[in-house]
Amino acid sequence: MATRKKVLLKVIILGDSSVGKTSLMNQYVNKKFTNQYKATIGADFLTKEVMVDDRIVTMQIWDTAGQERFQSLGVAFYRGADCCVLVFDVTSPGSFKSLDGWRDEFLIQASPSDPDHFPFVVLGNKVDLDNRSVSTKRAQQWCQSKNGLPYFETSAKEAVNVEQAFKTIARNALAQESDVELYNEFPDQIKLDGGSTDNRSSGSDNCAC
Amino acid sequence: MSFSSQIFRSPEYTSFRCNVPLKQIILDDTGTNKGWRVYDTGPRSVETPLVFLHPVSGRAEVFFKQLLTLSSKGYRVISAENPPYWSVTEWCEGFMQLLDHMDIKQVHLFGASLGGFLAQKFVEFSTIVHQPRVVSLFLCNAFTDTSIFKYKDAAVLFWILPAIVLRKMVLSNFSSRETFYDTRIMDSIDFMVELIESLSQADLASRLTINCLNSRVNTSLMRGLKGVTLMDVFDDYALGSPIKEKIYQEYPDAKLAQLKSGGNFPYLSRSDEVNLHLQIHLRKYDGTPYSASDNIPNTE
Repeated sequence: MATRKKVLLKVIILGDSSVGKTSLMNQYVNKKFTNQYKATIGADFLTKEVMVDDRIVTMQIWDTAGQERFQSLGVAFYRGADCCVLVFDVTSPGSFKSLDGWRDEFLIQASPSDPDHFPFVVLGNKVDLDNRSVSTKRAQQWCQSKNGLPYFETSAKEAVNVEQAFKTIARNALAQESDVELYNEFPDQIKLDGGSTDNRSSGSDNCAC
Repeated sequence: MSFSSQIFRSPEYTSFRCNVPLKQIILDDTGTNKGWRVYDTGPRSVETPLVFLHPVSGRAEVFFKQLLTLSSKGYRVISAENPPYWSVTEWCEGFMQLLDHMDIKQVHLFGASLGGFLAQKFVEFSTIVHQPRVVSLFLCNAFTDTSIFKYKDAAVLFWILPAIVLRKMVLSNFSSRETFYDTRIMDSIDFMVELIESLSQADLASRLTINCLNSRVNTSLMRGLKGVTLMDVFDDYALGSPIKEKIYQEYPDAKLAQLKSGGNFPYLSRSDEVNLHLQIHLRKYDGTPYSASDNIPNTE
């Protein structure tokens, strides 16, 4: 194939309520932060086009409700995920302990073909706050125990490390997506009617079906 | 006629046909018009429903998965299939009459391909002739300009062509290389092919005529739109990427509901993802006068 296929990367952010999932997404996509807390209902997403290793990819970032009672939208948002971002609040030991649960939840719902090597990225958010209670070492140890997951300490409020974290997320997601591609690669189909399929992108088509 | 595709035989489709009545709504009194085919599901108390508009090849049934799921979640969802109209203006007038007949003042519109084009033209039309009636648009594999299609010079002759030729014109766009290993996309194509068989010559010819006669959307004429979601698929489908870029440019603030794959008919082949995007699209109106559901919004 002469042209590379356009790539859509689906990224899912999980973590306890009020750890800053929506804020991280908003900081990354819109460069905005608000101190006002509003619980996410069900799920929502934002889209951003980014360059990953000289390739333009579209990132679709899904933010899910931390509270169980708001998770009403079913499992469709897990389908086809290329990377899962686990977020905890460095001032809340409870949110750190929940990471295991969120990871399991994702693996069950999304059931990726190779769960041991599925790309997770862990973010310890709110490092701008003084009352920190989960140490960097403790977080790194946990990440190490899960096959060495990348770990970033971020502040959505002050835009610390957010860009870097999402860069890694995008790169790992792209690697995952390319892996899946390999299994799907079928040889070109042989056309018997002599018709050309190449003009599909040229903009002159027969009808809109 | 016997239907044999997977979707026709599915319990889900059977349940739809058993539980949702098909209404024929005839609007003119001349008796020549065979009328709109309409499925109206969900709570009737909702005054701002979501109305689905089908593509060239579709019938009102193609959205049965959305109707089943969204109505069960408290949304009023309607699928409307038009009788033959031979121009965009005629269609807009007809659709306006239908809404008046059903006592619907304002709507959210979901339009797929030609349905998406007509949905946009209706926003323009209602802005020009009346009060704006469309609250939001959800466009799936849609386009803003018919000049992208071949046959525009031949379009004036479609009315004379036999049904078999018209069907072939539509079917020639259906399959692509990527669809061959995706059973859900194959099933969606099988279903659409069977539906095409049940369309009359006048249905096909009039839809193709509207689809190919020169016309374009003018977004500067639109008033009252509160939200737009653009859905498209990243795998092969009948419209190429320049067309997508064009529609993205027309709606710079739109939410982009992109799917990795799904073919020409994602509402059939990726219905759960489409339904999820529809809920996200509609949810922001919950609890407002524009709500498409009787849900009380979930707040803290």
